Amino acid sequence: MWGLAARLLRAHGRARGTARSKQELFSTSSVLSKDKDKSTASKDSPPEGAAKRQEDGAETPKQQLLDIIGNMKVEVSYRKKLQQLKASEKKKQAINKLEGPDSEGSVPQGITEDTQRDKPLNPELVKAASAVASSLPRNKKQTESELLAQLRRHEETTDKQKKGGTINIRNVLSEMTVKRQSPAQWGARISSRISLQLDEDGQRIRPERSSAQSVDSRRSLKVGKRLNIFTKPSTEPEHALKTVSSPTIWDLEFAKEVAAVTAQPPRNGFEEMIQWTKEGILWEFPIDNEIGMEDDAEFHEHIFLEKHLEGFPKEGPIRHFMELVICGLSKNPYLSVKQKVEHIEWFQKYFEEKKELLQEI
Amino acid sequence: MFQDDPFLMPRNAANSRLYALSKESGRNAAKYIIKNFPQYFDKTFAEPNIPCLMPEILTPQTEGMSEEALRERIHLRMVKESVDMFDQLLQAGTPVSLETTNSLLDLLCFYGDGEPTPEKEQEEKEDLEEPGVNASEQKAPKRQFQRGSQSSGPRWRENNHAERIFKIMPEKNAYSYCTMIRGMVKHGAYSKAYDMYIDLVNERHKADVHTFNALIRAVPYLKERFVERWELTKDFLTHMAQQKVQPTLLTFNSVLKSLRRCGGVGRTMSLFVLKEMEALDIEPSLASYEHLLSVYYKGVDSQSSDIISEVLNEVENRSFTAQDPDDANFFTTAMQVCCDLKDIKLAYQLNKALEKGDNWKFLDVDRSNGYWSKFFSLLCMMEQIEVVLKWYKEMSSSLFYPTPKNILDLLQALDAANQLEMIPSVWEDFQIHIQLAFAKCAEEIKAVHEPAGPGQVPLEWTGSALGHVVVLFSRTGRTQDAWNMMENFQKINRIPTKALESIKWDGDSSDSDSDSSDSDRSCALP
Repeated sequence: MWGLAARLLRAHGRARGTARSKQELFSTSSVLSKDKDKSTASKDSPPEGAAKRQEDGAETPKQQLLDIIGNMKVEVSYRKKLQQLKASEKKKQAINKLEGPDSEGSVPQGITEDTQRDKPLNPELVKAASAVASSLPRNKKQTESELLAQLRRHEETTDKQKKGGTINIRNVLSEMTVKRQSPAQWGARISSRISLQLDEDGQRIRPERSSAQSVDSRRSLKVGKRLNIFTKPSTEPEHALKTVSSPTIWDLEFAKEVAAVTAQPPRNGFEEMIQWTKEGILWEFPIDNEIGMEDDAEFHEHIFLEKHLEGFPKEGPIRHFMELVICGLSKNPYLSVKQKVEHIEWFQKYFEEKKELLQEI
Repeated sequence: MFQDDPFLMPRNAANSRLYALSKESGRNAAKYIIKNFPQYFDKTFAEPNIPCLMPEILTPQTEGMSEEALRERIHLRMVKESVDMFDQLLQAGTPVSLETTNSLLDLLCFYGDGEPTPEKEQEEKEDLEEPGVNASEQKAPKRQFQRGSQSSGPRWRENNHAERIFKIMPEKNAYSYCTMIRGMVKHGAYSKAYDMYIDLVNERHKADVHTFNALIRAVPYLKERFVERWELTKDFLTHMAQQKVQPTLLTFNSVLKSLRRCGGVGRTMSLFVLKEMEALDIEPSLASYEHLLSVYYKGVDSQSSDIISEVLNEVENRSFTAQDPDDANFFTTAMQVCCDLKDIKLAYQLNKALEKGDNWKFLDVDRSNGYWSKFFSLLCMMEQIEVVLKWYKEMSSSLFYPTPKNILDLLQALDAANQLEMIPSVWEDFQIHIQLAFAKCAEEIKAVHEPAGPGQVPLEWTGSALGHVVVLFSRTGRTQDAWNMMENFQKINRIPTKALESIKWDGDSSDSDSDSSDSDRSCALP
C-alpha cells in the first residue's frame, strides 16, 4: 500500500504519456471505474452538442490524467471502493453534462444521485456491479440486486427531472450546497443497507435480524417498566447494628480495588510533590519546626525555671549549685517540663535529707 | 511522570511504557532491598519519621501454638502457616473459635489456596515484572481476556484446604457458607458454588448481599440458554427480596454484567433493571452504563443512537466516583460505540463528559491511549482536514501516542483532501513508522530476488537496488539483515559506496535518522 502511495505521488510529477502502464499497477476496481468512465464519456458525448465535445477535446491530456489519477484512489475497504465507483461515475457525467465550468477539475464533490441519464442501465455498470458484489464476502445476489436497483432508481429520478428541462436541473443544482462530507455519509448509507462486515475494528459478530433492531430503536431509558422485585426500605434501624464487625479481607481488598480504579500516577511534578507530601516524604510548607513533637508547654516554662527554686535558701553554695542546675535544664531540649520539675524536686528532697548532716557540720 | 524535557520525553507508546516500567522497577528494587535486609535500615534519623519508607514488620510476634498466634498469622496473610497452625491446634485438641475459623476460611477462599504475592498499587506494573502463577489481586482486572469472566489466576482445586476445613468444622454459620460461595465463584467453581448455596438454603441460613452478588455473577456459567439465565437471575433476586436483603449498586451491576451474555433477553431486561435502580434511589455508576452499552451495541450494525445519547446526557453532568472496578471500562466502550456508529457529535459529548470533575481519572495510561486513538480515527474519517490537523497538533505526544493505524488514517485524510503537501509538517512523527513499513517492502523485494521455486529464475540484483535495500534495512536498525545483503555485492561484482556509511551511522545511533543519501553507483570490478 505504501508503494502504491509513493507511486501516486510520483505520478503527479511525471509526464503523462504513461497512463496505460500506470493503469496496470492499480487495483481492479479503479480499472473498472476508469473503463466505465471512458466508455460513458464516449457514449455521452454524441448526444451532446459538438461544442461540448470540443471543450472536452480541448481538455488537455493533463486534465484527463489528473481525472484518472483523481479517480484512482487506493483504498482498502470495500465500502470506499463502492463509493468511489459511484462518485467517480457521477462526477464524470456531471462534468460532461453541465455547462458550468466550475465543476471541471474539481475533486469529486457531493454531487447528488440525480445526474445519471442513460436509459438502459449501462452494461459496463452492470458488469462493475456484479464484480463488486462477487468480491464482497456475503450476500452476493442481494448485494448485486441492491446495487442495480439503486442505479435504476437514479435513472428514474434523473429522467423525471430531465423531462422538466435542463433548466430545472441547473436550478436544483445551483441551490444545493456542496458538502464535502456527503461521500462519506452516502457511503455509510450504502453500507448500512448492505450491512457489510467490516474487519477494521476486529470486534464484529454476525448481525442479528433487523426486526430486533427496529424494536430497540424505540427504547429509552426514561420510560419503561421496572422489575418490581424490591421495595424501598422505609426505615433502617437494623443497618446501624449490622456492620460493626471489623472489615473482612473481602472488604479490604474490594476497597483497594475500587481505589485503584481512579488512582492514576502523577501527571506532572506538582502532583508528584502532592503525593509525597501526603505520604509524609516531603515536609509541609511553610515549615513548622515542631512537627512530630508533642509538647504541651510553652517555651518560657522550659527556660525560666527560677520559680521552682523557691524552696531553696536564697544564698549560699546550694543556691549557687541549683542555679547552675537550672541553667543546664533550661538548655536541655530533650526533657519535658514535668521531667525538669521532677529533677529539681529530687534535688530539693535530697538536700532536705542531708540538711541534718549539713547542720551538724 | 517522566523527565519534563522535550528531548527526554517518550515519543511513542512503546517507549512510554518502557520508561514507566523502568521507573516502577527501580522503585520495586528499592522496596525489595528494604524488605529483605531490614537490619541495615534500623536507624531512623529522619525527623519526623517517615513510616512508609521504613521496613515493615511482617514476622509474627507471638510464638507458640495458640489461637492468638493463629489470628496473627491470618492477619499477616500467611496462608500456609495459618493452615499448618490450625491443623496443629486441632490435633492438640484445642478448640478454635468459630470466628477465627471463619476468618481462616476467608483467607483461604480469597487466595484460593495460593499465596499472596507482594501487592503493587501502581498501574504500570504490567506482565513483565512478576509473571508469577499466583497473580496478585490488583493484576486480575488487567489480565482479563474475556469480558465478564472471573479471572483470578489460580483455579479452585478439588478438595483443597478451604473445602477440607469447611468439612471438618464442628459448627458452621451463615458466614461460613457465604465465604465459601464467594471464594468458589471467584476462582471459577461455579456449579459448586450453586450447590453450596442450596445447602445454605436447606440449613435455613440467610445469605448476605455479597454472596448474592457473587451468585448472580456466576449465572452465565450455570445455564446455557438466555431465557434460563435470566430466570435464574430473577430467582436469586426474588430470594434476596424474600430474605429482606437489600440490594446495592453492586447487585444491579452484577445483574447487568450477567445480562451481557443473555442476548436479546438482556436487551429487554437491562432497561427494566435500570428502572428498578431508579425506583430504589440507587444511582447508576459508570459500570452500569458500560454494561448497558455493551448489551445494546454488541456488534450489530446500524444501531440507533438513542441509548447512547441518553446515557451520555446523564453522564456528562455528573462527576463520578469509583464504586465498582468495572467503572474503568466505560469511556473506552463508549468511544468504541461512537466509532461504530460513526457519530462525531457523540464523541465530542463524551469528551466533554471526560473533562467534568474527576472523570479523567477513570482512564489509565493504556486505556487512554486506546480511547484517544479511536477518537482520532473517527475524526480522520468524519471531519475536515483543518479540524483533524488542529486536533492532531494538540493531541499527539500530550494526550496519546499515535499508533500506526492513526498515522495511516491521517495520511488518508490528507490524501482525500488533496493536502499532501502538509506531510512535511507532521513528518517527524511518522518517520519511524514509515521506515518500518519501507523496511518491510525491502524485505519483500529481497524475497522476489531470491529463487522462489524450482522452475523460477530469480531476478538479478542491480547495484543501486541492493544499495537501497541495505540502506532501508539499516535505517530501522536491522543491521544484521543489512550485512547479509552486503555480502550479495560481492556476488554481483558491484561496489557499494554510500550504503556502507549508512550502516555505520545507523549502527551507532539506532533511533535517530541518518542523513546519508541512498544512491550508490555500480561499477564492474576488473
